[in-house]
Amino acid sequence: MFLTRRAGALLAGAAALTLMVAGCSSGASAGEGGSSGGGSGSTLIAYTGQAGDYQINFNPFSPSKIGGLGTIYEPLFFYNKAQVGDPVPLLGTEFSWNDDGTELDVTLRDGVTWSDGEAFTAEDVAFTFAMMQKYPAVNGSGFEGTATAADDTHVTFTFDEPAFVRGPDILSTPIVPEHLWSSIDPTTDVIEHPVGTGAYTLDNFKPQAYTLAANPDYWGGEPAVKTVRFISLSGNQAGADAIAAGTIDWQTGPIPDIQNTHTNFPDYDAYTQAQNQMVLATCSSAELGCTGPQTDPAVRQALYYAMDRTQLNKLAFMDTASAMSPTFALTPSQDSFVSDSIAEKQVPMTAQADKSAALLEADGWAKGADGIYAKDGERLSLTVEVVTGWTDYITALDAITSQAKDAGIEIKTSQSSWNEWTERKGKGNFQLVIDSLWQGPAPDPYYLYNYFFDSSSGAKVGESAGNNFARYSNADVDAAIEALAALDPGDTAARQPYFDTIEEAVVADMPYIPILTGGTTSIWNTAKFSGWPSDDDLYAFPAVWSALDAAEIFKKLTPAS
Amino acid sequence: MRYILRKLGFYVVALWAALTLNFAIPRLMPGNPVDIMLAKLQQRGGVVTPATRKAYTLLLGGDSTGSLWSQYVSYLKNLAHGDLGVSVSYYPAKVSDVIMQSLPWTLVLVGVATVIAALLGVLLGAVVGWKPGTWLDSLVPATTLMAAVPYFWLALILAYVLARVLGWFPLQGGYDVVLDAGWNGPFIASAIQHGVLPALTIVLASIGGWLMGMRNMMVSTLSEDYVLTADAKGLSPMKILRSYAARNAVLPSVAGFAISLGFVVSGSVITEQVFSYPGIGGRLLGAVTNNDYALMQGLFLFITLGVLGANLVVDLLYGLIDPRTRARS
Repeated sequence: MFLTRRAGALLAGAAALTLMVAGCSSGASAGEGGSSGGGSGSTLIAYTGQAGDYQINFNPFSPSKIGGLGTIYEPLFFYNKAQVGDPVPLLGTEFSWNDDGTELDVTLRDGVTWSDGEAFTAEDVAFTFAMMQKYPAVNGSGFEGTATAADDTHVTFTFDEPAFVRGPDILSTPIVPEHLWSSIDPTTDVIEHPVGTGAYTLDNFKPQAYTLAANPDYWGGEPAVKTVRFISLSGNQAGADAIAAGTIDWQTGPIPDIQNTHTNFPDYDAYTQAQNQMVLATCSSAELGCTGPQTDPAVRQALYYAMDRTQLNKLAFMDTASAMSPTFALTPSQDSFVSDSIAEKQVPMTAQADKSAALLEADGWAKGADGIYAKDGERLSLTVEVVTGWTDYITALDAITSQAKDAGIEIKTSQSSWNEWTERKGKGNFQLVIDSLWQGPAPDPYYLYNYFFDSSSGAKVGESAGNNFARYSNADVDAAIEALAALDPGDTAARQPYFDTIEEAVVADMPYIPILTGGTTSIWNTAKFSGWPSDDDLYAFPAVWSALDAAEIFKKLTPAS
Repeated sequence: MRYILRKLGFYVVALWAALTLNFAIPRLMPGNPVDIMLAKLQQRGGVVTPATRKAYTLLLGGDSTGSLWSQYVSYLKNLAHGDLGVSVSYYPAKVSDVIMQSLPWTLVLVGVATVIAALLGVLLGAVVGWKPGTWLDSLVPATTLMAAVPYFWLALILAYVLARVLGWFPLQGGYDVVLDAGWNGPFIASAIQHGVLPALTIVLASIGGWLMGMRNMMVSTLSEDYVLTADAKGLSPMKILRSYAARNAVLPSVAGFAISLGFVVSGSVITEQVFSYPGIGGRLLGAVTNNDYALMQGLFLFITLGVLGANLVVDLLYGLIDPRTRARS
């Protein structure tokens, strides 16, 4: 056995060598003989960026879960963050709010079974939410209400206060089976044998890879991709190597020369969706203890106009980043939320040094002999914190440094480890930080405003802040965010005035200086599978590590015959 | 006997010092595990709200509770019971489980490679040193060149040429993940096939040191009187080489070998990175970037025990091999 396998490998090696000699650089074909690239045609091999071995954990509520969310455990609805639209029904079929947002009625799908054969009922849903209340440690979405099963297919959620904006979190919560979970501790059980309603079940687990198999009894019909295998490699670089060797079918992360992926590797294609809005976050509030020129809004505005974003995109982001709205509503998918009063709908793509100069000079800054502005003896010099090894951000900062210099602003870069950087950000010990702002559970800018601009998640410098690490604090914005929480997301006319207030303040104060919307690029095998998301059919956000989106994509794919 | 007791006493003190450092060093690092986990979740497209932070803090126990002293006492107490605690980054897995899952890969790969490199290096060194000044001497610069090239670079080049271009070996992984790990033919064959290339890089990178050390010891041993005497007695050159010259020249290499065995546990971070090989190195890297104190302490403990244990064994063995070292007692 041993000898024949070795001989086989040698033969394959010899064959590959012959191919090399004959066809010069046919990089993709060498991979066919690769180890894990084999598999039958309907096995999809995915790499989520897992660095090092897996430790078994299929508990969908655990922060260290390795998988199972979406594929094994389904939520009631799927919210597609990539475009504004109605949520996709999964275990639920429809939902409705009462007028004041204190009651949410959900109708459940009939005839769904758990993968162990038991029937799925409204009791399971009620149990899942009761469990989250009972164990605050698994209540990551902060559910505060009661879920009651009216009958087998109807669940009613009741809340003390209007909870419209809680809807997406609740409807995206994975539902677990009461008959198995009622006897376990969800905070410490790793669920080695997950039982869910999803399109896949766990086939086997090894520290180096785990495999999901199609669920033949899935309510939506057995998916065409029969097997999905998630493998562990040492990091994104190894993932790029595996793409070159043809041993994985889907990875989300950059590879060299990404624009020409299809030319370099004919079996693969790259697709970019932009969702994380890159910013130079400032420690903005002098009242809360921030120090430095960036506490002055005019300086932040001046830096905003000093950037040449076309050049940045080319030099640092391989042209995968895209335009951004200074209001932080995702463009183009959330353009409808942008206030009419905002003159500049998108960030300027070229540097506008005259605007920067006008802003600074109106604010009392004057250019010194060294070409850098100064006011009251203080030079306009700012330090940006960045994580060592984040090469795209570091390159971007190099470019920003020289662009800002043309506008009379001095930028210095300080690199530190991720741990230290996170600590500085949290405690407010920084002037500028390059980072990106993320989206909420639904395609609605409310969530981003709530996370990053609400003063309740800020803190004094020296104390640990929540998401609002820029320490932005504006009573009008706080009030508008609070008012939005009590409004039906469907009532766009009633919501817009509040969005107007927030957006005007955000653009004027600019606590996070917009750069560009960062692209998330997936490289996937279009020769083996078809049906990947595209501009024409953007049915999910294409990122393999975004579990709920990935589950939708696995269901939609069809293997090439 | 007093020799052994004195040695053991010394090792107990060394162990205590190592354990204390092991406790202190991770706590000097900036950041706390909850922040790191949240930042990681957010990077993975997760939604981080104040509620998420609260939940994670509850789950992971938040910042270290209790005074440093009480933490230290309970740390030592737990260690005595063999309890290494719970890993934060792999919560709720026990640190010992996490380590045990990865340790065999490292032990086998780096262990075997170290043994091969040492044996080969010492043998070649003996041969080269037996005839200094001949063409064989060119082996010394050739192998030290390999050791001088940064290891990751050597590994990357070999991976590119042998795996990517020539396709002789698989590029990544420890085995074909379709197979079931265990004592079965296909798995072992696959594991060997995947292990050859990483092992080869380790051997190539470290053989130079062994070869040069052994060769130089051989050269100086050959000028000793007892070698001349043996020669004069008319013993065969092979007999002199094996029983007189090499046997004395190998002593420093034995000590060096024990130390390098101790480092086997820790010595695979880069190999694992380059070849995506499973093992303890990736765990160590992950523990450090995630501020996973318990896992870091567990790993450092294993490394410390490995180094101390190997040294102790050599110290004791040395007394047997070389009577001069226990002369004072």
